[in-house]
Amino acid sequence: MSVLFGFIALFALILLNVPIAVAIGLVAIVGMVADNGFVSVYNAALTLFDGATNFPLIAIPLFILAGCLMNTTSISRRLIDFCLALVGFIRGGLAMVNVTVSLFFAEISGSAVADVAATGSVLIPAMKKRGFKPQFAAALTSSTASLAIIIPPSIPMILYGALSDTSIVQLFIAGVIPGLIGAGLMFLVCYRYALKYGIPKEVAFSLRNLARSGKEAGWALMLPVIILGGIFGGFVTATEGAGLAVVAALVIGTLVYRDLEMSQLYDALMEGVTQTATVMLLVATSAVLGLHLTETELPQKLTMAVTQVTTDPILVLIIINVMLFLLGMFLHGAAAIILTVPILMPLVNQVGIDPVHFGIILTLNIALGQQTPPVASVLATSCAIAKTDIWSTTRANLPLIGVLLLVLLLVTYIPAIPLTLVEMFYR
Amino acid sequence: MRTLALVFKRMLEGISLGLLVLLALIVVLAVVYRTLGMSLIWYDELASVLLAWLTYFGAALAALKRAHLGFTGILTGSPLPTRKVMFWFSELCVYGFVLVCAYAGWYVLRIFGSESLVSLPIPLSVTQSVVPIGFVLFAIAQLASTRSAYEELVLQTTVREDFH
Repeated sequence: MSVLFGFIALFALILLNVPIAVAIGLVAIVGMVADNGFVSVYNAALTLFDGATNFPLIAIPLFILAGCLMNTTSISRRLIDFCLALVGFIRGGLAMVNVTVSLFFAEISGSAVADVAATGSVLIPAMKKRGFKPQFAAALTSSTASLAIIIPPSIPMILYGALSDTSIVQLFIAGVIPGLIGAGLMFLVCYRYALKYGIPKEVAFSLRNLARSGKEAGWALMLPVIILGGIFGGFVTATEGAGLAVVAALVIGTLVYRDLEMSQLYDALMEGVTQTATVMLLVATSAVLGLHLTETELPQKLTMAVTQVTTDPILVLIIINVMLFLLGMFLHGAAAIILTVPILMPLVNQVGIDPVHFGIILTLNIALGQQTPPVASVLATSCAIAKTDIWSTTRANLPLIGVLLLVLLLVTYIPAIPLTLVEMFYR
Repeated sequence: MRTLALVFKRMLEGISLGLLVLLALIVVLAVVYRTLGMSLIWYDELASVLLAWLTYFGAALAALKRAHLGFTGILTGSPLPTRKVMFWFSELCVYGFVLVCAYAGWYVLRIFGSESLVSLPIPLSVTQSVVPIGFVLFAIAQLASTRSAYEELVLQTTVREDFH
């Protein structure tokens, strides 16, 4: 009962504009003091430090740093030019470029907001000029960036892996096939849109043009090979892969392309520090909440309550998906992962759902949450670039949200889709 | 006052940036050393501590920019008197939380005695001091950015450029 009261208090505080990390910490500390007296706050202080020292999470600031470095060099522009030569000959070419370039960015930065900031500032104005409605341009940039968080590397996957003690490398490889299926479906949505509004091809296909832009973007294209090759090849851990991404982006920006802009870099780095700290403070305060929940045995009680009703993984996943979808509308992705994973993992394990499979389901729910207002961080960034209203953009986004939902259903009920590569290479 | 606030902001930015760069350097150095067959035994312990330091100095910086994740939808859509009540209630919650954490963080430092990290002779009381220091800085940052946040969220006028 006190736990239920705690959760009601938590959501009330969040709705009353208390920062989520503070709301989590407050509820946890008040709960601990109510149960065990004031001495619990000393335990909370120790947990606040320990919670922020989770080694795999070091990958988060490093991938954000790599994304900052990439965005302040010509790496983004070169990748866009290459994608234009690669898929720009298809009807509605710029929309196809948007999907393709997000796939490349996904393999480097790991953050959907970083992807939108990098690609949106170039592609959204270009799409508007080419006759795409601004709302569709914003919606597509936002949805492709969110789809990209299931393609490695992925910050939500790193968070989930660290919190649930699941292999981050296996999570990364499990996201590849669902990501490609989603990209294929988004291509179809774009093609249909281009037919409906009579949007032409962008450029004629030319092998010479492709080779030229491929050569110009050669080093940028090497980045995913270096990062993912290192991680999947077992040469480095996900954290060290993030470190390699920083070095590779720095070397390519300063020594190869020689166009790293220091003034822009400082602002981008400060933005990166802020993003890292906001997520990490959430992690730290949620560790205190986790301690409180362990004391109250909530995860075990929830597992018992659900398994008394059903132990069918399909039914359990339906319940979890609906809950995560609703939660995603009101919570930022990191907060949703941090709040739900410690509570749901015992249930997931009890009914026999593979933790890697569940990680991809959770990440897709986060991707959906990034597209569903009122709290839709990625969509909001995209709308800010396109100067569009979030609700009218959401209407334009419905077919693309439908794609994300379809991929979620496919991944949920056909575990082979995410797990085939994992079984093939790691089990 | 504005100058002081800017000095405070630059100080937080400098420390946070330094920690981020140091963290990246240590991770890269560790990969290089391991490739050469000379693994650094202190690497993961020190990197974890640096992450915690980055978290708390960065959290103070984020408080100054009012960038901590939250939900402002109901507040901004409410009438002025409700906005005022919600704003000050939220501020009170933040001060209550950070001051309790700062006090508890300072209190527990004494229990570490002469204990140090496992792989390096750095006292635990030094590594863990980031909790009280970080939360005090958080409280100062919250105080320094109250006016601009009030103007933005409650009065809904243009935000001053000090911290954004």
